[in-house]
Amino acid sequence: MTYFLGILQTIGVHTLLGLSAYLLLLTGQLSLAQAGFFAIGAYVSGILTVIFGLHIFPALAIGAFIAGFFAFLVGFPALRVKGLMLVVATIAFSEIVRLFFFNLSWRVIINGIEVGPDSTQGFREIRYFAANGWEQVDIVGLIWFLVIAVMLVLWWLDQVRAGAVLRAVGADELAAQSSGINLTRVKIAAMTGGGVIAGIGGGLFAHSTTYIDHHTFVVLLATFAVSYPILGGLRSVVGTLLAVIFIQGFIIEGLRFIGDYRYLIFGLLIVLVMNLRPHGIIDGHFLDDIKKLLGRKTMRGKVDD
Amino acid sequence: MNFDYIDVIQTLIDGILFGSIYALIGLGFTLIFGAMHKLNLAYASSGIAGAYMGLMSLTIVGVPVLMVFIIGPIVAGLISLILYFACFRFMPRGNHLAPLMASIGALFFIDELIIHATAGSPLSFPAILQDSYFIVGEFGIRGDLLMIMGFSLILMVVVMQLLYRTKLGLATRATSQQPVAALLCGIPTHKTNATTFCLAGILGGFAGCLLAASVGILSPLIILPLTIKGLIVTVIGGLGSIRGAIIAGFAVGAAEGIFLLVRGVNERDIYVYLLLFFFLVFRPNGLFGSTINRD
Repeated sequence: MTYFLGILQTIGVHTLLGLSAYLLLLTGQLSLAQAGFFAIGAYVSGILTVIFGLHIFPALAIGAFIAGFFAFLVGFPALRVKGLMLVVATIAFSEIVRLFFFNLSWRVIINGIEVGPDSTQGFREIRYFAANGWEQVDIVGLIWFLVIAVMLVLWWLDQVRAGAVLRAVGADELAAQSSGINLTRVKIAAMTGGGVIAGIGGGLFAHSTTYIDHHTFVVLLATFAVSYPILGGLRSVVGTLLAVIFIQGFIIEGLRFIGDYRYLIFGLLIVLVMNLRPHGIIDGHFLDDIKKLLGRKTMRGKVDD
Repeated sequence: MNFDYIDVIQTLIDGILFGSIYALIGLGFTLIFGAMHKLNLAYASSGIAGAYMGLMSLTIVGVPVLMVFIIGPIVAGLISLILYFACFRFMPRGNHLAPLMASIGALFFIDELIIHATAGSPLSFPAILQDSYFIVGEFGIRGDLLMIMGFSLILMVVVMQLLYRTKLGLATRATSQQPVAALLCGIPTHKTNATTFCLAGILGGFAGCLLAASVGILSPLIILPLTIKGLIVTVIGGLGSIRGAIIAGFAVGAAEGIFLLVRGVNERDIYVYLLLFFFLVFRPNGLFGSTINRD
């Protein structure tokens, strides 16, 4: 039971990570900084509960806020310049954050025990849940409550004008600009929103695993983050969730018996899927194919680009 | 902080000499970007993979040491060609995300492959001219770094000649400027792109071999820093500018040396990466980039 709850935790946290990349991908931008925002959320909220003794909820909120603020800071210079600059800037940012926490040592004595981030040794004593009598079921409940809340918000965005604006920028920047949309503002808003979501995910990750170190936040984690929405397709938030379940549940957990070759398969899978289905596995055609199988009218022609 | 101007100048000399490797990687990124207006994030990993294959031919087959520096680049060129077909050739032209994502997948595929083949431990690489050391006045110049610099400069001249003096170069530049018009003029654009990838891969293979020879070890851990620094060089030089990439390569090498001297090895890379943001804020088009924002 603990094992399955553990997998549920991982899937929940990674879904938040994937959704943070999803929001920005809607505008057609690819960011590899998600691991950096995740790390900021994890360290900040961990430091707040451990060193400052804050309650978990304000700690998560402040961590998310600071992650969002850094997303804004990174997005601002990178998104002003057109094109592929964001990838370069975000991959560098991710490593800057990782190296910062690699060097960060902030040890304090609290209740006779030395706690806090200890540079290369990692940050060990994030025991808020255990110290306050949370069961694992409660933790999984909290994670999934937040996952569903974020998914609902993103789903709701698609029902209102904001979603249409985001998708318009993603579909055709020139056309979107011609209809009066401020491209930079929309992209930076999406970037900031993504940072907040990743920050929440990071805070939950830090508190549910109780131990974090800089190795967790490598660019591979950022690759996972963008691969979920890309493999799952940008049609809806459910695609991201399904992709997380497939990659974390099947490839990483289910194929544990083949050892580290799983990561090889992950790399190969991305290359293959991008060649065969450049718009993700669950793209417009996929839904049409299913509808056809069910014998219903299709929506061919209304394919996302 | 107790270092005088001699330390600073010595660091600058070493940094600029070592920067020739970054210049080579940046040049490769620029060639690929120029050809297709796309980033191949797996590029540096293909260079390192080539260096590994060169090392393998030394340890397993027992070829002469010099052959490592021939086999490595050739294999790297082939890997780069495979990357072209795996990640770029069959992608829809207007889709920028798919090839980028595929090249990230390929980066981790090559990375994991190397980690598996070597069990994750670094291998020692044959050093060249390790013992030679030249004293010029108060400063010392490492012989191996000097050789790296000389070798890189020769390669850069060869690439420039290829681009600006041969028919192949003309085709490459034409494809880079206007792919459709080039195709209409009878230039086989796909073939030209494949050649560019191959050429860039060979450069990357040389860079990988030279890097490994100067450090003395080869480890998968250098792939990501090399990728990021190569990208930073490309951006600082101005996306698509060959001259800019070469100059920015030496500049980044020098800056890295200074940061190493001032802040130590653990924090060095933070400041090198921050350099990118400095340029993004104050000079987003790089040193030699065109003022028009290119995609």
